[in-house]
Amino acid sequence: MLTEPHMQRAFLTALCMGPLCALMGVFVTARRMAFFSDTISHGALAGVALGFWMGFADPTVPMIAFSLLVAGILVWLQENTELLSDTILAVVLSGSVALGIVILSSLKGYRGEIQSYLFGDILAIGWGDLKLALVLLLVVSLGLFVNLSRLTLVTAHPELAHSCGVPVRLLNYLFVVALTLVVTLSIRLLGIILVTSLLVIPPAASRSLSRNLRQQICYSVILGLVSSVGGVVGSYHFDAPCGPMIVLVCLGMFIGAFLIGRFKERIPS
Amino acid sequence: MNHPSDSGKPQANHSPPVIEARGVFVTISGHSILKGVDLSIPGGQVVALIGPNGSGKTTLLRALLGLQSLDQGEIRLFGQPLDRKVLHRVAYVPQKLALESGFALSVREFLALASDRTRHWFWRRHAVLDDVLISAVQEVRVEELLNRPLAKLSGGQLQRVMVAFALLRQPDILLLDEPMAGVDAPGEDTFYGLIGDLQRSRGLTVVLVSHDLSMVYRHATIVYALNGVICCEGRPEEVMNAESLRRAYGIHVSPYQHHHQPHGHLHPHAH
Repeated sequence: MLTEPHMQRAFLTALCMGPLCALMGVFVTARRMAFFSDTISHGALAGVALGFWMGFADPTVPMIAFSLLVAGILVWLQENTELLSDTILAVVLSGSVALGIVILSSLKGYRGEIQSYLFGDILAIGWGDLKLALVLLLVVSLGLFVNLSRLTLVTAHPELAHSCGVPVRLLNYLFVVALTLVVTLSIRLLGIILVTSLLVIPPAASRSLSRNLRQQICYSVILGLVSSVGGVVGSYHFDAPCGPMIVLVCLGMFIGAFLIGRFKERIPS
Repeated sequence: MNHPSDSGKPQANHSPPVIEARGVFVTISGHSILKGVDLSIPGGQVVALIGPNGSGKTTLLRALLGLQSLDQGEIRLFGQPLDRKVLHRVAYVPQKLALESGFALSVREFLALASDRTRHWFWRRHAVLDDVLISAVQEVRVEELLNRPLAKLSGGQLQRVMVAFALLRQPDILLLDEPMAGVDAPGEDTFYGLIGDLQRSRGLTVVLVSHDLSMVYRHATIVYALNGVICCEGRPEEVMNAESLRRAYGIHVSPYQHHHQPHGHLHPHAH
């Protein structure tokens, strides 16, 4: 399997993005930002469509740019209006999906590449994607561990963090930018529709097994790694789309972790 | 229960002010909340801010923490304008944590976030962290809670942990926002007793927002009654009588003063 270059790229990308999504996911779920991530990933659809419309052969750059724009709009609306957060997310999500579909349907000679963006496609992962994934893994995980205490305090209580001298607003902006890049670059692997699963399921599964945050982070990273690599292998063997395979492996581990957690609860320590 | 006025603490007018507010105006979403607040709090006191809902107690506390921008006026701590350096001497005990139970942060890990000595908690052994944490906050007795998930503590346990967190920052001023919301009366009395002990042993200046007038009467040394402006200020037995509470709350409020009948005169504010 690993003798084929496209499988090598997919495997290595999964090695980078699986643990990274799961690591960020611990804070995404605790900060109730799963729907935010979903809106970013769906915003990428309009970015992809715009990329094709503008004649890009590989729409990665317009996809990232448009996702960052969507993230900026979300943050601005949350900070400067009194609209409910869910309302903002739903409006921007549906708006960007509608924009993407209208642009795609207007394209002449459109051949349906969009399916690989919707559900993930290991054949579509290029060396450029792998390089970006590797850089992102290094930069984001380093940034996250350097700021782990500050980020944890902001997650626990933003005002308490502020009173302790943590630059809460700057940290929030950096987190949103990192999350947007991680989500957007995971789309090749997981697809727009399913990318949030790798942010949500590993932290939720690891919570059942953990007594503290250190354990939750470690287990989540391991589960993210196993799910993404297992999904890529499954996708190759069953000739199935990569994203759904990763989600199914994730889901299996979530059920396993849930049952183990329940079993541990019944045994007095 | 000792009455606070019997405790022999320094009186308000004899110590230099640790917290000063001058002509503080705050508007939130078009509503004028603070309408010219002046106060001058001397060091080493347990100060209670009382007043009806919407009177600006929490807003004033947030302003003291630098969390609330002012439309007008000035706040000084230790004679200095609010900046990062002076805010380092202030610790805050918030009303509650809205923490997701899906976040496995333990009490040990949470407390480790407060101290520079335990900042690298992720890479340290628990025993090493515990040595630092327990010795720094012996009075609060958090040992048995260290392994517990923060999101699953009871109200009283959480407040103890929040106070421990504040103390780990070695503050000179401790600000508490409705610290006893959702805690039963015996737990509340014990908690305020602890705050009083900490104030004395560590020489803290404590400012707390509270709705519970009987607790304020028993444990505070200075009371400010707030309703957009400071309606009256002074020792509990001076402020907490029917007339001044009516002035702050706009209705008759019983101060639950038990055996003690207040005789002191009021200090109506200039505004």
